[in-house]
Amino acid sequence: MAASPTSSGALNRGDRLFGVKLTAPAGVILAVLLLIPTVLTILYSLHDVPANGRSLGPFVGLENYTIVLGSSVFWRSAWVTFVFSVGFVIFSTLFGLGMAILLNQRFVGRGLARALLIIPWATPWLVIGILWKWFADGSVGGLNAVLLMLGATTDYYDFMADPNSALVLTIIAAVWRQASFAGILLLAGLQTLPEDLNEAASLDGAGVFQRFRNITLPWLKPALVTVTVLNIIYAFLQFDVIFAMTQGGPGDATQVLSILIYRQLFGVTQIGLGSALAVILGFIALAGGLLTVKLLYRAERQSA
Amino acid sequence: MTSNNSTKRPGGLDRRAFLKAGGATALAAILAPGLAGRAEAAFSGTLDMLAWDFQPDTIKTLVGEWTAKGNPAVNVAVIPNLGFSPALQTRLRGGDAIDLFYNFAYNSQKFIDQGWAAKLNDLPGVDDMVADMFESARPAYVNAAGDIISAPYFSAVHMMHYNDRMLKEAGIAAPPQTLQEIHDASKALKDKKIVDSPYVAYWVKEFCEEYLHTYLLNEGITAFDTAGKPVFADDPKTEGVFAWWQTMYQDGLAPKSVLNDDPGKLSNVMAQGDAAFFVLHHYFLTSIRSLNGPESANVMQSPIGGSNHTFQIGEVLQLGQIEDEERRNAAWDLMKFYGWKDSAGKFTVFNQWAKAAGLAAPYPGFFKDPDVIAAFPDYYDLPLISKTFETGSKVIPARTLPWYPDFQAKVGDIVHALLLGQATPKKTVEDLTAAANSAQKGRSL
Repeated sequence: MAASPTSSGALNRGDRLFGVKLTAPAGVILAVLLLIPTVLTILYSLHDVPANGRSLGPFVGLENYTIVLGSSVFWRSAWVTFVFSVGFVIFSTLFGLGMAILLNQRFVGRGLARALLIIPWATPWLVIGILWKWFADGSVGGLNAVLLMLGATTDYYDFMADPNSALVLTIIAAVWRQASFAGILLLAGLQTLPEDLNEAASLDGAGVFQRFRNITLPWLKPALVTVTVLNIIYAFLQFDVIFAMTQGGPGDATQVLSILIYRQLFGVTQIGLGSALAVILGFIALAGGLLTVKLLYRAERQSA
Repeated sequence: MTSNNSTKRPGGLDRRAFLKAGGATALAAILAPGLAGRAEAAFSGTLDMLAWDFQPDTIKTLVGEWTAKGNPAVNVAVIPNLGFSPALQTRLRGGDAIDLFYNFAYNSQKFIDQGWAAKLNDLPGVDDMVADMFESARPAYVNAAGDIISAPYFSAVHMMHYNDRMLKEAGIAAPPQTLQEIHDASKALKDKKIVDSPYVAYWVKEFCEEYLHTYLLNEGITAFDTAGKPVFADDPKTEGVFAWWQTMYQDGLAPKSVLNDDPGKLSNVMAQGDAAFFVLHHYFLTSIRSLNGPESANVMQSPIGGSNHTFQIGEVLQLGQIEDEERRNAAWDLMKFYGWKDSAGKFTVFNQWAKAAGLAAPYPGFFKDPDVIAAFPDYYDLPLISKTFETGSKVIPARTLPWYPDFQAKVGDIVHALLLGQATPKKTVEDLTAAANSAQKGRSL
């Protein structure tokens, strides 16, 4: 009796062709939307591309990378990106986790609260940036009114004119949206947690913190890894919220790398330099994501 | 159709046709050769025009008027002013063929060099258009090599808007003109608690470059020579200008929010009496007055710079690179109508912009046109604005050089660092000089 393709691990020619046909549309879409632009960007980064884009221009090797890495503007922007990313990843993950745990409890109006969680996530980044710009406005913004009401300040303050508070506010605005996304994913993870695990632990005398640490967190690990990696990638690629709120200002206080890329590629149309910046940012985001996955799983192996 | 074709060629055949037909329109055509808006254009297709979103309905109405005179239809696309330049460049790079488009003056030579816009030399009537301009304005449209690179969309001069009531209350006899006078008057108003932050300006990042020129010109410094050398670096007064700028912000004579406030908000600040001085384009007097705030009627306009110059600006129209001669001639005809005069020699389009927002045109004739004079509200001192265009203001020719957009993009960060106290005036001079030099060298961040 001939071995079946599945049992041997090898597919016959017809099945292989069928598989190729099934995946071909997705492959073509990925190639068009992802592979071609990526290859082009790398190619542009090695040339002095004219603004009109009618040719690649002269080949300059790694010169664009040398210019970028030798520029204080790049390093300043990289630092701002790093600070923004750290705040964004930590707080959106933590707030998302908090919201997920809260919304996993039984209380009146839970359904409505869960529905509300989707609203920030369903709002486009750009709209959120514009909303927060108005909210933080120094003369008519609601944030000042709230802080005054709470007694936290004594007068209206122009947050967006201060380099530090402008950066903090862009982080808060971005976290406000991303935390709901993290919350949705983590809530989905929590809902798969069998209740009898917690009940058994309670019977054994485990407290709330112990149950959270030894049952909930390990159970959520795969979801947390996904959320954290996505948050890192979102953080490094963040553009819309910051651009809408500050356009990178005041000064260069909120000029993350994506805004610098936008300026180089679309403002002053130095396509080679802008592409080199984009390649570097893409690499940083990729490395950040991979490193996080590695660190989280190493920690898991060590604790196992 | 053959005869129609001939009306569009250089050499004045169209004028003869008009003479044959007789009448006032033909007379105007004789008086103003090469004028726009002639009927029965040879090109029968649709022209494409791209503008930013200042009064889009008015743009369409004006262009519709041109079409109604027997000219081709025009497809007008309008995109937001914010991000206009990146959007336009992306479209052109992607292969969009746009016959006529708005552009920022600082982009104009770059667009010629990149093959996105055409030089206007040798087009019928173009020399007359240039000759019609204020001499002070010409270098914005004609480069050092004599290439005519754009036509005016609108022009303006930087002026001081001041609250006359507040000045009188503070015992200040005349509106301040020099930077020192502006500082002293602002301090007096603040000390007397008449207004907390007396001075406002549009100091957002993208606009700092305009103020750089305005303030330097106020002290008699032209930032760049015609070759683009940053000569401000060699002038000992430059550091003083930056020290003044920093003091105005650090001492709270300007509100902290000016780093982000848009001009609409600043006009309202003046209308509400929350500031006494506002330096920006002359036409912001329209905004302040039309807001009808409690102090709107007290806001007047005066020149700045003392015996020196103020800054003259103007955004431009550029003609796309059009191979087809008939299409190009039709687009040029539209350009003349939109950026100069109609076939009757009237400033139809500029008159409309004057009515709508107090915008001006860089033509002496504009300020003498009875319709234009009627279009400006009484609160404008039109002879003063005209005189400021003629002898009291300068354009900076280097602003149209191909490297300039790169420098322009860098100025905001450097000036904000100065205002925020992160850089000294001396360091600011060095940083701006380095920015200008690196922009001229080519690729730099």
